[in-house]
Amino acid sequence: MTENINPRRSWMILPAHDPAGVMRYQEFKPDVVVLDLEYSVPPKSKEVARAGLGTLVRKVGAGQAEVFVRIDRETRWADVGAAMHRGIKGIVFPGPEEPGEVAELGELIAAMEKARGVDPGITELVLMLESAKGFWNAASLAQASPRVTALGVGRIDLTMRLGRVPQGEFRLYRFLMTRTLVAARMLDKQPLGAFWRPGSRGGVASREITVKAAREAMLMGFTGCLCATAEQVVSVNAGFTSA
Amino acid sequence: MPKYIRRSLFSLPIEDPRLGEKSYAAWADAIILDFVKQPGRDWQQDLKSRMPAAIHEAAKGGAEVFVRINSDASAAELESTVFCGISGVVLKGVNGPGDINNASQCLDVLEKSRGITGGSLEIDVEVNTAAGVWNSLEIARASQRFGTFTVNEHELCRNLGMFPGPVLEFEPLEYIKSQLITVATSVGGQAQGMSYPLSLTQENAGDEEFGKAVRRARDTGFKGAVCPHASWIKVCNEGFRPSSEEVSYYLKVREVFAEGLKRGMASVPIDGKMIDVPVDLRARLYLEWADRAQARDAEKAQAHEKPAA
Repeated sequence: MTENINPRRSWMILPAHDPAGVMRYQEFKPDVVVLDLEYSVPPKSKEVARAGLGTLVRKVGAGQAEVFVRIDRETRWADVGAAMHRGIKGIVFPGPEEPGEVAELGELIAAMEKARGVDPGITELVLMLESAKGFWNAASLAQASPRVTALGVGRIDLTMRLGRVPQGEFRLYRFLMTRTLVAARMLDKQPLGAFWRPGSRGGVASREITVKAAREAMLMGFTGCLCATAEQVVSVNAGFTSA
Repeated sequence: MPKYIRRSLFSLPIEDPRLGEKSYAAWADAIILDFVKQPGRDWQQDLKSRMPAAIHEAAKGGAEVFVRINSDASAAELESTVFCGISGVVLKGVNGPGDINNASQCLDVLEKSRGITGGSLEIDVEVNTAAGVWNSLEIARASQRFGTFTVNEHELCRNLGMFPGPVLEFEPLEYIKSQLITVATSVGGQAQGMSYPLSLTQENAGDEEFGKAVRRARDTGFKGAVCPHASWIKVCNEGFRPSSEEVSYYLKVREVFAEGLKRGMASVPIDGKMIDVPVDLRARLYLEWADRAQARDAEKAQAHEKPAA
């Protein structure tokens, strides 16, 4: 018998410029729907994605999954402005580096809550750590706004400029995962991440590898992770479900 | 080079009627005394009346004696347990430097009032929380009394939400252990812990398997370990020090290198390996470490010349 004690295991990323594609989330039953404004949306479609967010947040929010919006670090102000609608659970902020950035975003969210009739203070902030500075500042970032409810491990290999890493061995990744976990647990935040192997993450991870990455992460204290493809959701849910 | 020769630490409750006998038979380098606050009794008065005798009993085998204290009640617990004969306290549940400062201030007062040399009592930190890990540098720097970090892996894993068991392909606390070893060493202290998976399973592995685990822990940088079973103590005492093979090899290194220097050479070969200044330095340190471990064993042997009871 298995028991799911963690309601936010799978965070399914769905490009916000494709409403029909977004609604396919129902087939996969993720715990969290992450409407993406970041790299899964082509630059030319960003405006369309922002313009459609209100409708999408309402439609998805009416279902069983919780709705978050992943913003783009470079355009975060406009993205938060577009994302804040009744029904949104929170914002996923990739690549924060300084506490001031998090505090500023928290204040912007507060202003938008007021403007859009969202209950004040309920919108969460999920920080995805991606840079050396971000990882080093993990605890102060998490303390920069009371809205922060989760700390996650983002695209380390890319943003840490690691280049090629040995297959099957990615020790820096384990160090950064540990650092994130310690900061998150110290501050009572949800730790997000999976123990992906180099060359087999995101869209190219097999079902077996995804289950293993999630299972190891759960054993290591993490409680959920982002899913880059729809197929990963079932594997992530299985991996993060306690036996 | 370890600051302390403290290869094996063995916990015993002060309530144990065979405390003296067990301490004597254990041959541990250090005994950590635990106590239970008895409900419905004046636990402070109770402890005060029992601690001096318990410390005396625990020291019978030549071990250093420590008392484990909960950080969140440190003032009252220190007041009830700190008496002549202990080397220090093991502070558990430390979240930041303030916990160390509070305990240190209490020890200042108690040393003065109980005839203990001022500043002599050590504070060792048993790390069992995420905050303890995150703030480890500030904790270690908080007081001159800081001596060691000990990793309480079961409680730390629970605090971190980990369920590692013995199934992972890698050491789950590798980086946390590395951090604590580095931080402790950076302030002149040391760290104690065991290698995965025995650190978590804590089982009675056979001597050969356990010897390898101790060797891995030693080579990671740990200078000793808390022993959940008395059966661990002998292997820890033998493993957390240079082996006899290492001693032989480094004696040869020193001898051959000294001869090379006399001949005006900066490096000399031994068995196909190049011996130069850093290797000679390591040889000196290992030999000093081995001598100190041997001296510690001699101290304990001397203590054992007296009967346990």
